[in-house]
Amino acid sequence: MAVYTGPVQDLVDELGKLPGIGPKSAQRIAFHLLKLPRDDALRLAQVITEAKARVSWCERCFNVASEALCDICRDDRRDPSVICVVEEPRDVVAVEKTREYKGRYHVLGGAMNPLEGVGAEQLRVRELLARLADEAVTEVILCTNPNVEGETTALYLAKMLQDVPIKVTRIASGLPVGGDLEYADELTLGRAIEGRRTV
Amino acid sequence: MLLTRVWLTDFRNYASAELEPAPGLTVIVGANGQGKSNLLEAVGWLAGLRSFRAAPTEALVRVGADQAIVRGEADRAGRALLIECEISRTGRNRTLVNRQPVRRTRDALDHLRAVSFAPDDLELVKGGPAERRRYVDDLLVAVHPRYETVRSDLDRILRQRAAVLKQSGGRSSPEIEATLDVWDTRLAATGEELAEGRAALLADLAPIVARAYLDLADAGAVDVTYAPAWRAEGLAGALAAARPDELRRGVSLVGPHRDDVGLDLDGLPTRTHASQGEQRSLALALRLAAARRLATTLDTPPLLLLDDVFSELDDARGEALLAHLPPGQTLVTTATAIPPGSRPERVFRVESGAVVPDLG
Ligand SMILES: [Zn+2]
Repeated sequence: MAVYTGPVQDLVDELGKLPGIGPKSAQRIAFHLLKLPRDDALRLAQVITEAKARVSWCERCFNVASEALCDICRDDRRDPSVICVVEEPRDVVAVEKTREYKGRYHVLGGAMNPLEGVGAEQLRVRELLARLADEAVTEVILCTNPNVEGETTALYLAKMLQDVPIKVTRIASGLPVGGDLEYADELTLGRAIEGRRTV
Repeated sequence: MLLTRVWLTDFRNYASAELEPAPGLTVIVGANGQGKSNLLEAVGWLAGLRSFRAAPTEALVRVGADQAIVRGEADRAGRALLIECEISRTGRNRTLVNRQPVRRTRDALDHLRAVSFAPDDLELVKGGPAERRRYVDDLLVAVHPRYETVRSDLDRILRQRAAVLKQSGGRSSPEIEATLDVWDTRLAATGEELAEGRAALLADLAPIVARAYLDLADAGAVDVTYAPAWRAEGLAGALAAARPDELRRGVSLVGPHRDDVGLDLDGLPTRTHASQGEQRSLALALRLAAARRLATTLDTPPLLLLDDVFSELDDARGEALLAHLPPGQTLVTTATAIPPGSRPERVFRVESGAVVPDLG
C-alpha cells in the first residue's frame, strides 16, 4: 500500500483501525472525506467528539448511557427481577426491537474469545454476580450469540450460576420467522429438525 | 444427471476447448504436459468450485487473461441445466446456474457432484492420519450437510481451546481450570457428534471399500476401522484425564482432530505393510467406494474423474477397474494406451491445448 503525505496517511491509518474497514476501504473513505465540503466534514468530527464526551456506560448494566444509568435502568416500568445478558450494546437494541422483553439487561462487553485475548475476566462477569447478590433477581436469560464463542460464554455463565437459586434460561436458536422453509439455509434447518419438540 | 457438454475459455493452457462427455465412460488421451489433467480439473471445478489439485485460482487462469470461464451443460430428468463459472485471477469468482447468480457454494454444489482420483491420492494410504481424516470428513459433509457446521465448530473450538492452553503457560489456576472446563464440555459434545458421524459412515463404507478393492486386485481382505481409544470412556473423561499433560505441554492431545482411520489388508496395516501396488489399488478403492456411497444418498451417481489412473495400475488392474466402474459418468485421462479389452464410449485426444475426438 502506498504511503501518503502526513495528514492523509494519518487519516487512512485511523480509518483502517475501525472494525470491518480494510486498507482499501480506508483509502476510499479518506478520499471521500477530503472531497466533502468543509462544513460536512466538521459536522462529522463534531458528532464524534460530542458522542465521545456525552455517552458513557451505564453503571449498572453497561449499556450505553448519557447519565449514570441508561434509559432502561431508569425506567421504573421495567421488571427488575429479570436480567437479559447480552454481548454488546447493539444486542440490547436488537432485543428491544422485539418489544417482547420487559426486564433489564446486562452487557458483557463481548464473548469469551481466547484467540483474541478475551477471557471471562475481561468480560463483566464479576459485575453480573454482584448484581445478582444485590438486586432481587429471579431469572437470568442468556442471550449471547448462537456461535462458538457465544455458546461457550453462555455455558460458562450457566456453570457460574448453577449454585445460585435463580432460574437460568438460554434463548432458543432456530428458523427465521416469516420466511419460507424453502429458503432456509439447510444447516439452520438441520439444527432445527434436530431440536424439534412435540406440539 | 448427465453432463453433456463442457467448454472452457482461458482455463490453464486452453484458449478455448470443448468436450462432450459420453453417458458412460469417456477417455482423454494425451502425452504428459499437453493439458489432459487440466481438462479434468475444469470439470471438477464445475462440480465442486475448487481444484482437486488444490491449485490456487490464479494458477487456473491462462497466462495473459484476467479470468477463466468454465461452462457445463447438463441434463437432469429431461431439464437442461447450464452451470457457468467465472474464475478470476484476483477478484471474486462467480457462479451462475441457468443464468442466475448463486450466492453460496453449497447451492451450486447441489447441481453437480464429482468424486475425483489423482495420483497424489496414494497419500490416503501412505500419508499421515490427517489425509484419512479429511477423506472421511469430506465424504461425511457431502452425505450429511449438517456436519459442515459440526466440522467448522469443532475447528473453532479447538483453536480457542489451544489458545487457552498456550496462555496458561503450563500453570494451572482456578480461572484457567474453569475456562478449560467449558471449552472441554464444548469439545466433548462437538467431538462426540463428529466421531459418531464418522463411525456410522465408515461402518457403511467398509464393505464397499473391501468390495471395490477385490474388484481391482482379485485377492485381499480390506478392513476399514475407526476406533479411537477415547471412544471407550467418552471424550469428556479422556479430556479430564489428559488435562495435566495438556496443561504441561500446552497442546491439545486427545480428540477427533487426532484420530486415525485404520486401513488393514489381510489383518496388517497397509501404511507400513502393503506393497506400492496394493497401496495404489486401495487408494483408488477408497475413491470408488466414496462415489458409490454418495450415489446412494444423492438420487444420481456423482461424476467420477480419474486422473492418470492407468499409470498407477498394471494392465490386469486397469482392465478390472474399467470392468467394475460404478454406474454413472466416468472421465479418465491417460498418457499410456487404454487397457486392451476395454471399450470406452468416447475417446478424445489432447495435443498442445486442443481437444479433438479420437476416431481410433
Ligand atoms: Zn443500564
